[in-house]
Amino acid sequence: MNLLCQLFARPAIARDWGAGQWNTFLPLARSARLLGRSLYLFEHNDLIDVVPGRLLDQLRGAVAQTRYVQGQALRELRHVARALGGAGIPLIALKGGAYLVAGLPSAQWRNLSDIDVLVPAKDIDAAERVLKQAHWVPSGDFDEYDRHYYRDWMHEVPPLKYPGREMEVDIHHNLSPPVSRIRIDAERLWADASMIEGPGGTHIGVLAPVDLLLHNAVHLFMNDELRGGLRDVVDFRDLYGHFFAADPAFGRLLCARARALGCGRPLYYALTTAQRLLALQVSPEVIADVEKHAPAAPVARLMHRLIAEVLAPRQPAKDNWIAGQLLYIRSHWVRMPAGMLFRHLTHKYFKQKRTDEVSAQDLPG
Amino acid sequence: MSEQKLILDAGPFRVGVRATEPRFFDTLSWFYRDSIRDNGADEVLDYDIHVYRPPSLRRWIKPQIQFGIDGMQPFEPHPLENAFPMYEWGLNWCIATSAHRYMMVHSGNVAFDDQALILPGNPGSGKSTLSAALNLSGARLLSDEFGLVRPESLDMLPMPRGIPLKNASIEAILEFDGAAPLGPTYPKTRKGRVRHLRPDSASQVQQAAPATPRWLVFPKYRAGAEDVLEPLDKAEAFRQLAFNSFNYKLLGETGFRTVDRMIRQMDCYRMEFSRLDTAVALLTALAGRGGGQA
Repeated sequence: MNLLCQLFARPAIARDWGAGQWNTFLPLARSARLLGRSLYLFEHNDLIDVVPGRLLDQLRGAVAQTRYVQGQALRELRHVARALGGAGIPLIALKGGAYLVAGLPSAQWRNLSDIDVLVPAKDIDAAERVLKQAHWVPSGDFDEYDRHYYRDWMHEVPPLKYPGREMEVDIHHNLSPPVSRIRIDAERLWADASMIEGPGGTHIGVLAPVDLLLHNAVHLFMNDELRGGLRDVVDFRDLYGHFFAADPAFGRLLCARARALGCGRPLYYALTTAQRLLALQVSPEVIADVEKHAPAAPVARLMHRLIAEVLAPRQPAKDNWIAGQLLYIRSHWVRMPAGMLFRHLTHKYFKQKRTDEVSAQDLPG
Repeated sequence: MSEQKLILDAGPFRVGVRATEPRFFDTLSWFYRDSIRDNGADEVLDYDIHVYRPPSLRRWIKPQIQFGIDGMQPFEPHPLENAFPMYEWGLNWCIATSAHRYMMVHSGNVAFDDQALILPGNPGSGKSTLSAALNLSGARLLSDEFGLVRPESLDMLPMPRGIPLKNASIEAILEFDGAAPLGPTYPKTRKGRVRHLRPDSASQVQQAAPATPRWLVFPKYRAGAEDVLEPLDKAEAFRQLAFNSFNYKLLGETGFRTVDRMIRQMDCYRMEFSRLDTAVALLTALAGRGGGQA
């Protein structure tokens, strides 16, 4: 098992660590974007004294950077909320932005590189138009195919960015792509979300607790960014622990909601992965309940192996290329019909080839 | 090819370097012979760096070299012959993106005893050349590129590394001191022709001893200009020091307070120079005088 997972499962093991373990820990935590979370873990388990001083400096440096990025993210969220609010379009902050707005425990360490917001499906074109009129611009060079991919097949518009600011804005109208096998009724998300008033009279929505976890599950297990995904499993575990502490029935509510929204399978993967990799404590009834959504046993076994390979490698980014590729293909498989998947992957393949040729010319010398 | 491993101190950072290239290894050992740690396996590292030839067909035509950290490759590979500049640049990248525990000032820094002279500046200002010349004249080299300041104590932490001299600066330093310990010439890097000056042994040996910021001088190289060293208004010095800090904005209030307290305890000047020997004499006299009128 990967050392980082061992640490998150049983923090006290750090007391017995020597240079070898610390030298395995730091690259794993840095590449998994879990430095800040690790500092938080050491602080809350009275382990600060056992962390080598130079590593504490690394962890504190990461937290300083996180605080800055969080400030930028909140500011961007408010700018977006103000612009959309002026046009009567409501929004819900998703993922890291939501944890910040809602003041959840992960706000103490959670890094983020962009902000994701949800708007009603009927408003998504208007939302994009409003932001563009307010001078947000597409953050990359998207060709006609990319725009088609984002708009028609996925659940978002191409990322936008305000000139001179650092945070990208991703606007979604659902938590899962419209073409995928999972179809969440977004109106039910809106019905249960809470609105939080921020400075300047802006209103930013946050999903109901159960939906926060389901979004995490859908995002991690239907996304092709699994590679850096241990952080998402940690988020899941932290959120589960937080809401379970307030309501012992939380696990059952979560399963019921997953069934109602049709995302039992991602919840199955998320819960069992958090349990396997990070020792999430889940009651046997909840496990029995979620296992109803498991795939056939041999598939589940293979998936758990692949997930562990990719999310918890023994060393960062080593030797898990095949597992990563298999999961990448699967993540597209579950969200696109086969014909569409074939077209998408071949387009990406040839585009990648073109990019390779360009960058080869740019090499120094 | 067998892999060699070296553990080096780079000021507050401990760096592991694994590489398969004997020539790169020789260069590294020559520059940092007084910074090498010898009890290998027991050292906790900040950065575990891997310098290796990427497995591609190009290796048979035009061999390349890759910089790896945390199992990732943050940059495109460089031509094999530029392994050492790539390593130096790569380590700077690692530090710049992670060391927010410190305020990082873009400056050359030297010390007279434990009193630091900070020379911030943009590329072309002559700060690296001045730092090199001051080190050759007996001042302790704290660092070039990064001035690392601990916000709580305002201690400036040394990080003596090879000073990259670019293009005409190489000849300027050789003219200043014909025996200057310069490493190999790298004729084609992205910054042009580069040769590094090795920091003297004393600076490397004393790299755990911090210095106190005492003088702040903004240098500007101007061909043919008369030397000028004149006091700089502290508000202007604040603005320029903040502007020259890599992570001033990121550190927020900590950054503001750190720059504020540094400025209050330092004498601040601007300087124009065209000749190294007179510039070095001016700065040495400034330090020798101990106090200042600014």
